[in-house]
Amino acid sequence: MNPVQRFFRRYILSTAAILLLFLTVNLILLFAIMVAGTMSSSDSSFSAGDFSDHLVLQDGNWSADDTALSMLEKQSSWAMLLDENGDVVWQQNLPETLPRSYTSAEVASFSRWYLNDYPVKIWTRTDGCLLVIGYPPGTLVKYYFSLEWPYMGIMFSGIAAVFFINLLLIVFLILRNTRKVEKAMTPILQGIQKLSSGIPSHLEEQGELAEINAGLNRAADYMKKKDNTRAEWIRGISHDIRTPLSMVLGYASELEDDCALPQEARKQAGIIRRESEKMKRLIDDLNLTTKLEYALQPVRFKEVDWAEICRQTVGEVLNSGLDSRYEIVLTEMQPGHSIRLLGDDGLLRRMLNNLLFNSITHNPQGCKITLSVGEENGYCLCIISDNGAGISQESLKALNRGDAIASTQDSSGTSEHGLGLKLVVQIVRAHHGTISFSSSIPHGLKIRLSLPAQPHFS
Amino acid sequence: MLHHKLLLVDDDRDLLEMLLSIFRRAGYTNLLTASSGSEALRIWREAQPNLIVLDVMMPCMDGFSFLKEIRRTSRVPVLMLTARGEAEDRIEGLEIGADDYLPKPFLPKELLLRVSAILNRAYPNQNEIAELAGSTVDMANAEVRKDNETLTLTAKELLLFKKLYQNAGRIVTTGILCETICGEFWQGYESTLSTHIRHLREKIEKNPSKPVSLITVKGLGYRLNLKEGSS
Repeated sequence: MNPVQRFFRRYILSTAAILLLFLTVNLILLFAIMVAGTMSSSDSSFSAGDFSDHLVLQDGNWSADDTALSMLEKQSSWAMLLDENGDVVWQQNLPETLPRSYTSAEVASFSRWYLNDYPVKIWTRTDGCLLVIGYPPGTLVKYYFSLEWPYMGIMFSGIAAVFFINLLLIVFLILRNTRKVEKAMTPILQGIQKLSSGIPSHLEEQGELAEINAGLNRAADYMKKKDNTRAEWIRGISHDIRTPLSMVLGYASELEDDCALPQEARKQAGIIRRESEKMKRLIDDLNLTTKLEYALQPVRFKEVDWAEICRQTVGEVLNSGLDSRYEIVLTEMQPGHSIRLLGDDGLLRRMLNNLLFNSITHNPQGCKITLSVGEENGYCLCIISDNGAGISQESLKALNRGDAIASTQDSSGTSEHGLGLKLVVQIVRAHHGTISFSSSIPHGLKIRLSLPAQPHFS
Repeated sequence: MLHHKLLLVDDDRDLLEMLLSIFRRAGYTNLLTASSGSEALRIWREAQPNLIVLDVMMPCMDGFSFLKEIRRTSRVPVLMLTARGEAEDRIEGLEIGADDYLPKPFLPKELLLRVSAILNRAYPNQNEIAELAGSTVDMANAEVRKDNETLTLTAKELLLFKKLYQNAGRIVTTGILCETICGEFWQGYESTLSTHIRHLREKIEKNPSKPVSLITVKGLGYRLNLKEGSS
C-alpha cells in the first residue's frame, strides 16, 4: 500500500472513529440530562402510595399522621379520600371550590386529566378507597397516552430503522466524498512524490484541482529544464575540453616515445600523459554520470554473458599496457559455465573498468587484483579484491551507506574515490543490483557486486 | 601497410598537425590533409586515398554528411574521430558506414592500432607470414614451417590463428575466440576451443607442453607472442 492509499485509509478510519465518538457522547449526554432532570425535581415530592401508608382508619374515623401532613404542607398540596360511592370520607386542605362527592365519570375524567385545573395523583387502596392528592395548578404536567400495540411495534422498529438508515447514509456519503477527494488528489500526491525523487510527471489540467495540477506541471517543467541546462552545460564543457586534451595527450605520448630526448624530459612527458589520461577518465565519468542521473541516456538491456564481459574488461585493462607492478587474476566460481545476464553491455564494462582502475589508482606502489565471477540463486556475482592499502573504516561506512560523493579527492588531495565509484553505484542501481564495500584480509579493499540475472522492471 | 595513402580531415589545424606528426613518426609516408568537408571531398575524388581519418564536427559540411556523400559510390575505409563521445553518435556513425569510431581524447597508440587493424582488414596481405619463436606461419597457404617440416593448418585452426595474429601481443578472451570459430552462439564450445588450441600448439610450438608463442592467460584467454623483432 503506497503512502497516498495509506493516508486515505487512515482518513476513512478516523471518520468512522469520529462517528462512533459522536454517538457515544450523545448517549452520555442524554443519560446526563435525564439524571440532571431527576436531580432537579423537588426533594419534597412524594408518591401517592407512600402517603397512603400514613392514612389509617381508627375507630371509624380516617386520620393522617404528622408525616403525611408535613408531606402535604411542603408541596402546598391537598388530599382527599373517596369511598366506593365517590363521597369524600377524609380530606386535608381540600379547596372549598371542589365538590365533596364525585360520580364515577368525574373520577375517570380527573384521574386522566385535571380536577378543576388541579393536577392530581391517584392511589387505589386495598380497602377499596381512592386516595386523591391535588397539587397547585402549574406544578405538574400530565399527559395521557393511548396507543395500539401494532402501532407501538411499528414505531419502535421505525425509530431503529431511521437510526440505522441515517447511519448508513452518513457512512455512504463520507465514503463517496472520500473517494472523490482521493480520485482528485491521488495523481497530485503521486506527482509530488515522484517530483521529490527527481522524476517529473505531467498531470491533466482539468477538474476542480486544475490549478494545482498546472502548478505541479510547472514545477516539473522547471526542474527538468534546470536539470537539462546543467547536463547540457557539463556536456558542453566536456566536449570543449576533449580536443585540447587530445593534443596534450598526443604530444605528451610523442615526447615520451622520442628516443632523441633526454631521459628526464621523456619521464616528465610520461607524467603529463598519465595525468591527461586521468583527466580523460574524469571527463568521461562526469559526462556519463550526469547522463545517468538525469536519465538522458537510456539503459539498453539485452542478454549478455557476464563471465565473458568480466574476461574482456580485464583483458582490455591488461592490453592497455598495465604496469608490471599490477597483477590481475580472474577466477570463475563455476568454470566453463556461461552466465546469462540482462544488462547494458557498455555500462557493465564501464562499471568493472572503473572498479579495476579504482584499485590501480589507489595503489601506486602496485597490487594484485583478484576477480571472482559466478552465479548464485539467480544473481550474477563479482567479488573484486585487492591486496593494496585499502581504505579507512569511516570511508567504508560512508560508501556502504551510499552517501553522496561530493569530491573526487580527500582532504590530503591524494585520493580519488569519487566520481568513478559514484558511476559504479549508479550503474549497479540501474541494473537493480547491490554493491558492498569491505576490507580484504590482511589488507586491501574488497567489493562485492550482485546483479539480478533477470531484473524486474517496475 | 605503411605505403597506404591516408587522408586526414579535421577543421582544427593544430590537431591536423598533430595527426600528421603521429602518422609520420609511425612510418606512414603518403599523407594528405583537408580542413573542411568540401575540401576533403575534392581531395578524395582526385587522390582516391586508401583510408580516411574523419572528424565529425566541422563547419559547413560535417563528417556525417561527408561520409554519406562518399558512401554513395565508394567503400573506402573510414575511421571517425569525434569530440562527442555519446553512444548515439557512435551508432549513427557506424550506421552510415564508418568502419570504426574513436572518441577524443585518444592515445596516439590507440589511433595507430585501429588504423592498422582497418587497413589489415580492408587490404589483406596476400603473402602474410607470421614469424614465431619456433616456427613460421604462412596464412595465405595455411601452412606452418617448423624445423624443415611443413604442416598444414585446418580451417578452424587458421581462423583461430588469424584472430590471434590480428591481436598479437594482446589478450584475446575465450569468448571472442569461440565466437571466431563457432559464430554468435558459442556458449558451451570452450572445450572445443581448447582442443583446437592444443592442435595449433602441436603445430607451431617447438615444445607444445611449454608454449612460448601461444600463451594461456589464466581465466581470461590466450595471447600470441610474435618472434622478437618481427612486426
